[in-house]
Amino acid sequence: MDLDTFVQTLLNSIQTSSVYALVAVGLAMAFGVMKMANFAHGEFYMIGAYVLYQVYQLWGLNFWIGVVVAIPVVALLGVATERVIFRNTGANILAGFMATVGLGFVLQVAALQIWGHGLMKRIDTPYMGAAEIGDAHVGWQRLIIIPCAIAMLIALRWFLYNVKLGKALRACAQDPETASLQGIKVRNMTMLAMAIAGASAGLAGALMAPVAAITPYMGHHIVIIAFIVIVVGGTASVGGAVVAAIILGFIHTFVTTLVDSTTAAMVGVGIMALTLVVRPQGLLGRETP
Amino acid sequence: MLLALKDVWVHYRKVAAVRGISISVEEGEIVTLIGANGAGKSTTLRTISGLKRPSSGAIEFAGERIDTVAPDQITKFGIAHVPEGRHVFPYMSVVENLEIGAYLRTDKAAIDKGYEEVFEHFPRLRERRKQQAGTLSGGEQQMLAMGRALMSDPKLILMDEPSLGLSPIMCREIAKIIRDLHQLGRTIVLVEQNARLALALAQKGYVLETGSIVLDGPAQELRQNDEIKHTYLGIASTGEADGKSDNA
Repeated sequence: MDLDTFVQTLLNSIQTSSVYALVAVGLAMAFGVMKMANFAHGEFYMIGAYVLYQVYQLWGLNFWIGVVVAIPVVALLGVATERVIFRNTGANILAGFMATVGLGFVLQVAALQIWGHGLMKRIDTPYMGAAEIGDAHVGWQRLIIIPCAIAMLIALRWFLYNVKLGKALRACAQDPETASLQGIKVRNMTMLAMAIAGASAGLAGALMAPVAAITPYMGHHIVIIAFIVIVVGGTASVGGAVVAAIILGFIHTFVTTLVDSTTAAMVGVGIMALTLVVRPQGLLGRETP
Repeated sequence: MLLALKDVWVHYRKVAAVRGISISVEEGEIVTLIGANGAGKSTTLRTISGLKRPSSGAIEFAGERIDTVAPDQITKFGIAHVPEGRHVFPYMSVVENLEIGAYLRTDKAAIDKGYEEVFEHFPRLRERRKQQAGTLSGGEQQMLAMGRALMSDPKLILMDEPSLGLSPIMCREIAKIIRDLHQLGRTIVLVEQNARLALALAQKGYVLETGSIVLDGPAQELRQNDEIKHTYLGIASTGEADGKSDNA
């Protein structure tokens, strides 16, 4: 691998890690508070991409307006999922699994109905051109994902550690019953966690829309990676999800460049299997975030 | 009367854990519920704070019915619950734990006064304010759980087995703090398996057996009761060990 390819792959890795982190953090967050996995999380990402397609491509508004609209729309979807599904399934893991897998299918069909069948949607790239570092070319559209993801993650961390509501969310993830005795409404916290999960998945989908293939099934691939990421990082650990996203983002990108994407996927699953054997609680794993 | 339980029954599915108990607590009093494992002591406390619903009976606090109040509303009434096993938030710092204890309070000055009060009672918590709660010793966690309860400035503190799993020295320290709180006018309902400790601290006691109150009265009298001496204090009922229960 020559230097230019290396630089290019490095930048691609950072971009890939950013997307993985955005998607996985939401999954880990919701799991931390509810101890339930949301299998429709990939479809949240997909809806984020379609919202951008609608606002930017179909309505012709500014790209960033599309991004800003996608965040609350998918956050609301998260809240609705909590109200309609998780509040009713309670701690029944199997019911939560069935219901959210079902929700994933419903959202896929809904996307088909609203935005039509056929090939993937084409989006005009709002930021044409590429950054040139030596002989390496990386499209601006991919590069802007990186600062957006970092900003979102910093904002999330700030919220969790400096805002009273964020601290209450952490308290609730660590010990819901005791949190309720302090006056924290647990249901509001699970709703908040699902809103944050939706917001970050929606942001990731919107940012990726111009460079990814927009189809109703685009969430499938990313949600599997997100699950691998949170298993490696520690299922309920937000920090662990970020660390694991970076590790897997780099490994996936480098293996894809050097070998191929099938091998990269296998290596990713291999790392998860290895983690489960060596450190079953995950890299930064503990019971709660 | 600050707190009154009137013929309260509590069921876990079909099994009655609490069978028609009536308890009254006056303001400024320490009242203890003693009894063996599974006698229904913890269930009683959990019912007062709304974590369990009574299947029948009434709970009144300062003249208001509270038996349908949700646990997240109970601090609004002025009731704080120090749960069995301490249950501090393990991955939050000592200060953050205390902050969560004052979650529903908005008066900044009063909250700052709350921190001061807690750190006065528990100087050790001040030293460890930045430390993660999960890394504290058992006794320190108990102090933190009590401090967290104080942060809501409660009228009534429910304490579930504060001495559980602590060293004798730490037990003595916790006992001293409970006494201090009492002297400062706090009302406390104390659930304990360590009857010796509980009866030394309390003014009034209730003895629970399989969900029913079998005996109640001033703590002083209970300490002299032969049955109690034999069953709960481990003293042969010859009377020669009198007064020993005082130094817990």
